[in-house]
Amino acid sequence: MAVLNRMDWYDLARSTNWTPKYVTEDELFPPKLSGEFGLPLAAWENYDEPYKQTYPEYVKVQREKDAGAYSVKAALERSRIFENADPGWKSVMKAHYGAIARGEYAAASAEARMMRFSKAPGMRNMSTLGCMDEIRHGQMQLYFPHEHVAKDRQIDWAFKAYDTNEWAMIAARHFFDDIMMTRDAISVSIMLTFSFETGFTNMQFLGLAADAAEAGDHTFANLISSIQTDESRHAQIGGPALKVLIENGKKEEAQKRVDIAVWGAWKLFSVLTGPIMDYYTPLEHRKQSFKEFMEEWIVAQFERALTDMGLDLPWYWDIFLKDIGQTHHGMHLGSYFWRPTLWWNPAAGVTPDERAWLEEKYPGWNDTWGQCWDVFIDNVVDGNMAKTYPETLPYVCNMCQLPILGVPGKGWDVKDYPLEYNGRLYHFGSEVDRWVFQQEPERYAGHLSIVDRFLAGMIQPMDLGGALQYMGLAPGEIGDDAHNYAWAEVYRALRETRKAG
Amino acid sequence: MALFPLTSNFEGDFVLQLVPVDTEHTMDEVAAAAAVHSVGRRVRDRPGHILRVRRHGSTELLPRNLKVAEAGFKPTETVDIIWQAA
Ligand SMILES: [Fe+2]
Ligand SMILES: [Fe+2]
Repeated sequence: MAVLNRMDWYDLARSTNWTPKYVTEDELFPPKLSGEFGLPLAAWENYDEPYKQTYPEYVKVQREKDAGAYSVKAALERSRIFENADPGWKSVMKAHYGAIARGEYAAASAEARMMRFSKAPGMRNMSTLGCMDEIRHGQMQLYFPHEHVAKDRQIDWAFKAYDTNEWAMIAARHFFDDIMMTRDAISVSIMLTFSFETGFTNMQFLGLAADAAEAGDHTFANLISSIQTDESRHAQIGGPALKVLIENGKKEEAQKRVDIAVWGAWKLFSVLTGPIMDYYTPLEHRKQSFKEFMEEWIVAQFERALTDMGLDLPWYWDIFLKDIGQTHHGMHLGSYFWRPTLWWNPAAGVTPDERAWLEEKYPGWNDTWGQCWDVFIDNVVDGNMAKTYPETLPYVCNMCQLPILGVPGKGWDVKDYPLEYNGRLYHFGSEVDRWVFQQEPERYAGHLSIVDRFLAGMIQPMDLGGALQYMGLAPGEIGDDAHNYAWAEVYRALRETRKAG
Repeated sequence: MALFPLTSNFEGDFVLQLVPVDTEHTMDEVAAAAAVHSVGRRVRDRPGHILRVRRHGSTELLPRNLKVAEAGFKPTETVDIIWQAA
């Protein structure tokens, strides 16, 4: 029997909708789940996905992708790449698996919401495949780290991070809950696929695949690029939905969702990806600074994606452009200083050579963040380790759940953006975080940040030990310097030379 | 006498920090409590300087012997801790 070409039947098949007779349209597509945009089914039938794939095609391609990634892993299992890797690279893997693996399963449920509740037939098709993508990503990113669990307890966080109250995980959950777990199908397509995936995961995965290859970790590099090929397909689910909304006079609603999701994604990347690119990656393997990477991948490409779509740049674009040269330095200093609260061992990345690189990429670094690091380095060299650890909590933002920070040293500029709402004083790390809260206060008001929980007596005893226990960090898992402070030797030597001279 | 949480924004430091103080503490004591978490950790001591407290973003320094209870702070309100030449 002759088989029709895909394009001879695809459009017809995917838009063969039925008209509900026994239930109302609202019962079939409850507005809370399908999106309260007030657009009729017919408007959504104009949704035109740019990437058309049938189920048999999908299965064939995915099978090949899996075979590729799994066979590289099998071939390299005895290679001792993990054992011999730079400790900074191991930290990258640990941070990535913990923050991402289980989030992929969560993303499968968000895709499933679009699959069942979207009024756009093409979206239902694409997210059927997207949902299976995310299940695959969850499975792979739990299976691949598993071989290392016996070697290193921190790897266990690939599996357990999402079940803990570790502060970075509270931040990750707060963001993902907001953009993909508690939104209607259309909002998910805008916030998860268009804003987060097109804007940011592309970058995380492309950047990481390159880093992995540099570090000689071909298993990880293949895994990540295999995932990326799925992401770049299903990230296209949101674009046509934006088009339908804009054509039907709903630009404002669409724009607001983009603005909220892009900001949250940026904050999460500033703490996860920024330190990795500018501090953990060995100097000789660095291709671009985080800021350069952001400028190329986010500023240039995402700006174009927005304007092609007929959307405006987010109202806070100037704030964002300034922050991409600053925020992640603070996120690195903060996560490093509070390092016992991490499930990976952060690399300091502040040898004289690395500082020269930072100064070149971020003029003024030595007079600002460098001033804080100077004090820290002196303490390490003096053996005054007690002073290299914190004795209180950083104050965190009630939106992004990350420390409220700014520029230290000679350029001192640290601001709180407070807001009183229903008798409670909220703190935000930026004008934008506060704006997000104000768009829908009741959505966010009940959440307790790690500091709120501490003040409410939920963390006992009220000290570092109690905090680590609350965060689920067992002995052998708590973070410390990736290189056991060996990098400070050069400063010790410098001081000896100075004394001798 | 009651525990009172404030948020310290310490001049030269990079992050806001939680600092528990007492309602009977003076502003000098508040500044000293905040300094524990910044000076010698990420901010160098400045000999010949004292530390003063002001409401976040204000330019007006609060009197050194003003008590927390009298200052009218909200719990967790942010205060700036500022170096002043002695
Ligand atoms: Fe994924
Ligand atoms: Fe995805």
